Amino acid sequence: MDTLFLMNSLWVMISAVLVILMIGGFILLETGSTRMKNAGHIAGKTILTFGISSIVFWAVGYGLIFGEGNSILGFSDFFYSGYDVEGLGLSGAVFFLFQLAFAGISLTIAFGGFAERAKLSVYLVFALLFSVLVYPFIAHWIWGGGWLAEHGKQDFAGSTVVHLTGAMAALAATILLKPRIGKFNKDGSANNIEGHNQVFTALSVLLLWVGWFGFNAGSTVSVDGAFFGFVALNTNLAAAAGTVAAMLISWIVLGKADVPMMLNGALAGLVAITASCAFVDTWASVIIGLIAGILVFYSIRFFESKKIDDPIFALSVHGTAGVWGTLSTGFFATPELATVGNPGLFYGGGLEQLGVQALGVVASGAFAFIVSFIILSIMKVTMKGLRVTEEEEIIGLDISEHGSYGYPELVNKEAAVKGSIEIPSTGNVPLSSQRPSVN
Amino acid sequence: MNLSHDSNINGIRVKRLSDASFSNEQLNHFHDFIYDQVLTAALCKVSKEYGNPPSPFSFFVMGSAGRMEQSIWSDQDHGLVFTLKTDEAQEYFLKLGKEISEGLEIAGYKKCSGSVMASNPLWCKSMEDWEAQLGLWVGESTWESIRYLLIFADARSIHGNPGLVSRLKEKAFDEVKREHLLLRMLDNTMYMKKGVGVLGQLLVETHGAYTGSINLKETAFLPFVNAARLLSFYGGIKETPTLSRISLVSDVMMPDQDKSLYSKNFSALLDYRLKHGCNRDYDSGHYVNTSKLTKDEKKSLKEILKVGEQFYEHVRRMLERM
Repeated sequence: MDTLFLMNSLWVMISAVLVILMIGGFILLETGSTRMKNAGHIAGKTILTFGISSIVFWAVGYGLIFGEGNSILGFSDFFYSGYDVEGLGLSGAVFFLFQLAFAGISLTIAFGGFAERAKLSVYLVFALLFSVLVYPFIAHWIWGGGWLAEHGKQDFAGSTVVHLTGAMAALAATILLKPRIGKFNKDGSANNIEGHNQVFTALSVLLLWVGWFGFNAGSTVSVDGAFFGFVALNTNLAAAAGTVAAMLISWIVLGKADVPMMLNGALAGLVAITASCAFVDTWASVIIGLIAGILVFYSIRFFESKKIDDPIFALSVHGTAGVWGTLSTGFFATPELATVGNPGLFYGGGLEQLGVQALGVVASGAFAFIVSFIILSIMKVTMKGLRVTEEEEIIGLDISEHGSYGYPELVNKEAAVKGSIEIPSTGNVPLSSQRPSVN
Repeated sequence: MNLSHDSNINGIRVKRLSDASFSNEQLNHFHDFIYDQVLTAALCKVSKEYGNPPSPFSFFVMGSAGRMEQSIWSDQDHGLVFTLKTDEAQEYFLKLGKEISEGLEIAGYKKCSGSVMASNPLWCKSMEDWEAQLGLWVGESTWESIRYLLIFADARSIHGNPGLVSRLKEKAFDEVKREHLLLRMLDNTMYMKKGVGVLGQLLVETHGAYTGSINLKETAFLPFVNAARLLSFYGGIKETPTLSRISLVSDVMMPDQDKSLYSKNFSALLDYRLKHGCNRDYDSGHYVNTSKLTKDEKKSLKEILKVGEQFYEHVRRMLERM
């Protein structure tokens, strides 16, 4: 057998494993950023919905994206049986698995907007419908030879396809679900419902950061010229720049080096470079990451000021940074690297590529949002609401949806100490008030 | 204690509070007046049941009450010292302390969450035990014991023999000096919340009930109060109000023009809190909603914050040079 074929297959298989491990990153990210009483539920449903998404992708998703069809959707290769595809240059099964992982990530991102209040049944039904009616369309348009691919839309590893699509579904969900109990006060001010474990959140970022080498560098789907190394380098630089930028901007504006914000900056840098990692120079990666880190800070404040409760910041990290990342190639794509589409504005490409990128963002974003909104609205009527009852939300989804806590000893003890069920906190006790008063 | 009498005290407090809240000085004299009423009632009741106090004593207040810097709402921080070292005396004065703290609670002063109250044996002792305890705190020099010494530094006698508290303070000052504890004390009061960002903007709360408000206690009061308290140890100053502490520092230690800059700004801060604080309850009194301030008011607040930091830095450098 051809050595290159085997090496390509091996590299993409490793990448698929890395991307699937990112599901673990999202488990830590989502549980760490939310409260203890929902931790078991969030961890469990993430695995479950990845299972659903895998089966749907095998049955129809892959065929809708990569099958023979028109510029809107593919219509062949359903129930994929593992055969090789001519001209692919690697094992068909490996390529399938790699693409399956992306579909799973997009769905997981979407569920960020559901956190801490959606019914388990809503997760199951939406996992199915999103995987058939939302993701395949956009993936086909850009990666499956659809109408945006014909325009030369640049989205190397999915700032739009995976991240923006997921974020738009999250936006539709969080609008329809409404904010969590205790998030906003009567006067419109927001409370900080702190996550229960910053260490989880930080580890999640590391896991995602490493996983992203599979996500981006693996998207070369070949070892040819070892180009994956350059893509990985750009990825790392943008993540690093996003981290530093978010920390700096939060220190400058708020006067504190905010840890969750810094972590969101790292992720925003990663999301932004996802579209452009193969098309831009290293210095541009640093700029793209820096801007993403600053954007995510203001985006989080913007959504909060609009009273949109985004528990794990999916809208800002994957949405806003996804939009910026997609547009960034329109500025920074170099003539040598732009194997798809044209060079960007700063390389004499004019506004053409930027226009294509903007069109892609608007069309994909609008499609994902509108279709998700319609699906969820219909579900809201037919399933008698998307949200658990207030009582269930207060006792936690671990108990209400699954019958046992992710942290049984700790949560039960807390309830016993308080003599009743937990009431959402409305602010943080400052360190100084926990000390004997000197003042 | 007679309940109707107590509700009466609370009534007087509420009724006359607004008249008294035009200046910090008036307000604090008014707090003292209420304390006095409660003390008299408590003494009367305990005397009726257990006889007259077995020995001379002093009841003192600490915290913002000790410094005469209470806002409209305030919580309790107080202690007792008495001359007779017997178990009976201890029992008697603990009862008195308990009565006072109950009375103060009825009068509208929240009990101290850290239990710095005369009803707690730690803060209600004979002269001899107090002296031993101060020596122990200095000797231990743990984070907690230093915290206690800092709390005690603000003690001000408001009933009984003030000489007792004065003697204890001398003892505390001497011990701290002898054991070179001032730098440790400095370390323990370093944590302060930043009030002004690098761009010169006021740093306000971004979440919770006080969104858009600046926390005056943590950003503005702490630097002034902590620095002046350290000065009191340094210069052996027994007076407790921050303004007095500043003015009593010798000119050799701190030039006159610096002293007057610090005093002027702290004075402005006291007025500021009275004028702009929410004053709905104890917590809200520390917050000022910056969106309601005029441009000039914001400017003067920034000046206060800047000078507070400057004062603290000045004292820090002084102590570190020692």
